Amino acid sequence: MKKTGLIVNPIAGMGGSVGLKGTDGKTYNKALELGAKPTTPKSIDDTLALITRKDLYFVVAPGKMGEDFVRKFDFQYEVVSKIGEETNADDTKRIVGEMIEKGITLLVFVGGDGTARDIYDVLGLTIPVVGIPSGVKMFSPVFALSTAAAAEIINNESGQFIEKEVLDIDEQAFREGKLGAKLYGYLKVPKNVNLLQGKKEPSNVSKPEELSKEEIAQYVLEKMEPDTLYILGPGTTLSTIAQKMNVSKTLLGIDAVVNGRLVGADLNEKGLLELIKKYDKTKIILTPIGGNGFIFGRASKQFTPEVLKLIPKENIIVVATEDKISRLECLRVDTGNTEVDENLKGPVKVITGIKTETIIEVK
Amino acid sequence: MTANLHMNENPYLPDEKIRRAAARGLENLNRYSEWKYLIELKTLLGEYNHVSSERIVLSHGSDMLLREVINIFSGNRKIIMVSPSFFPVAHYALKQASRLTKIQISPSDFRLNPQLLLNELDEPALIIIDNPNNPTGKILLENGFAEKILQNKNALLLVDEAYFEFSGRTFAGMIDKYPNLAVARTMDKAFSLAGLRLGYLIMGDYFKDHFSDFPAYLATPTLFAAIEALRNTESMMANVDKIGREKARMEIELSKAGIHVFQSSTNFILIKTKIPDFAKKLKEEGVVIKDMSGEWLAGYYRISVGLPEENNVLLSLVKKLIN
Ligand SMILES: Cc1ncc(COP(=O)(O)O)c(C=O)c1O
Repeated sequence: MKKTGLIVNPIAGMGGSVGLKGTDGKTYNKALELGAKPTTPKSIDDTLALITRKDLYFVVAPGKMGEDFVRKFDFQYEVVSKIGEETNADDTKRIVGEMIEKGITLLVFVGGDGTARDIYDVLGLTIPVVGIPSGVKMFSPVFALSTAAAAEIINNESGQFIEKEVLDIDEQAFREGKLGAKLYGYLKVPKNVNLLQGKKEPSNVSKPEELSKEEIAQYVLEKMEPDTLYILGPGTTLSTIAQKMNVSKTLLGIDAVVNGRLVGADLNEKGLLELIKKYDKTKIILTPIGGNGFIFGRASKQFTPEVLKLIPKENIIVVATEDKISRLECLRVDTGNTEVDENLKGPVKVITGIKTETIIEVK
Repeated sequence: MTANLHMNENPYLPDEKIRRAAARGLENLNRYSEWKYLIELKTLLGEYNHVSSERIVLSHGSDMLLREVINIFSGNRKIIMVSPSFFPVAHYALKQASRLTKIQISPSDFRLNPQLLLNELDEPALIIIDNPNNPTGKILLENGFAEKILQNKNALLLVDEAYFEFSGRTFAGMIDKYPNLAVARTMDKAFSLAGLRLGYLIMGDYFKDHFSDFPAYLATPTLFAAIEALRNTESMMANVDKIGREKARMEIELSKAGIHVFQSSTNFILIKTKIPDFAKKLKEEGVVIKDMSGEWLAGYYRISVGLPEENNVLLSLVKKLIN
């Protein structure tokens, strides 16, 4: 049997509908007062109803965090942990921890961006997850496209995984029409043709993500110039580059290398400015956030307008896998400084492999 | 009822006469097709396109010819393509190319900036552009732009005009002037021959030199049907006309229902909607459309224009889903 964790954030997304930010703690009661209704029950039922796999053994959270839903279906399951009347992020984290101890090899969760972050805090890249979207807008690419897609992914999970971003969204900024997205981490999700690739066209020609990243890394390495400060942005594509150089890079931080040596890790604005001043030439290598295409978002604090003013546009190297880039409408910047933004806008060449590149507009 | 509106097919069967011609092709099933019919088809295609029949090479589907052009020319040339474009060819280019530059077109106008492409021509290049583009339905190449490309000695330009009869726009008229131009066409769309597959390439001199030994034996039913279809193109034109009118109606009705519709020069329509699981819900009701989230953007769907009754079913389902 395949031990599969199932955890539901029963109050995910309730704040959004009534204009509140997040639904932890006090805001939850406020949301209820304002007439918010939970959106998760229907999503989870929709997905569970479509699961045809017979070899699943669910390890579920109690009550409204899981058990109440599986009970209605024909699955084998056991319940872990206990919860009180009101649930919060700590419950999620504690229960996921207990599920790991029970030996789950897949975790199905229902919730929003916040739930994904809680799960990332506990899981990191250890156990793959399937995120069922719960009816409100979600920004993290880690979620399945739909409840039905989630069921298909579970049914066809075959041991191949890719990493997808978990985002920290400044919802207030979003409501004001500004997209503020900070990369929070990565979760492993099953690579599934039904979710990631259309059914009509052959999928055998598309390259595995890992290989794409290797190719990009190789290309970037070959092109690296001596005595130049290279600032490496966050993400697994950049980590692959760092790995190839044998330097250890922070996954979510901004690091810097010169002549193949790490000269700064997890840099903030001050650290970046100091380094940039020390070297004659600086280049930034970074990858857009999947789904929305941000290269410099409001919330990626370290690349401030002051930092970016010191880097000529042609010294910004954007890299991305084919799969990621072909799913973007465009690239985006929102540094908070109009002048800097305007300067970054226009077409850029994105490196997508040893022999491939994509010209795409920054908007 | 099922309505297949996901493959950009023609919803109308070819004319009775054409079907009978195809059936006659079955009578000598054990034999290879005869040269004289191949020559007759090329002659008819030459006349249809106002070009010399020597400029034409035939294949089962234009897809094969597009791939063959990539095979022949990509060894020491960079390929330049628009993204998105017809996916099977885009995938193939990605696999075969020694170097590949994609130029992304983005919503909402999906315009191809000529300068971006012209900037890339400082080395030998094979440029492949579907015009109109699949999946956006947009015309990407104008005459002036195409001539600028063709006047560059580094450039080979292959224009995929699979939807020519719907768009009315072609570069075939430039074929004598520019050796570095080729135009890909198909009879699988407007002529309703998708089940028999007939594609052809109209070649400028440079392309022609490389295609002299391309295998040309086609299935006889295909040959006979294509010949018959070209002898009298009226039924094809009537179908194209009907589809065009249905397309206009669909564009209006879908827009009225609150769906974002992108103007198309083909027999399909690209739309954008936030309705969750849109394609899946339509499929449950028997209407199959193409969900673009697989290879491209989530929330975008491509819908072929079907028979009026199929389109009506689609429209009423859409209205129901929106409410
Ligand atoms: C742009 C484009 N080119 C070529 C083709 C292939 O057509 P054929 O049936 O001739 O292979 C299609 C079919 O959908 C298409 O959309």
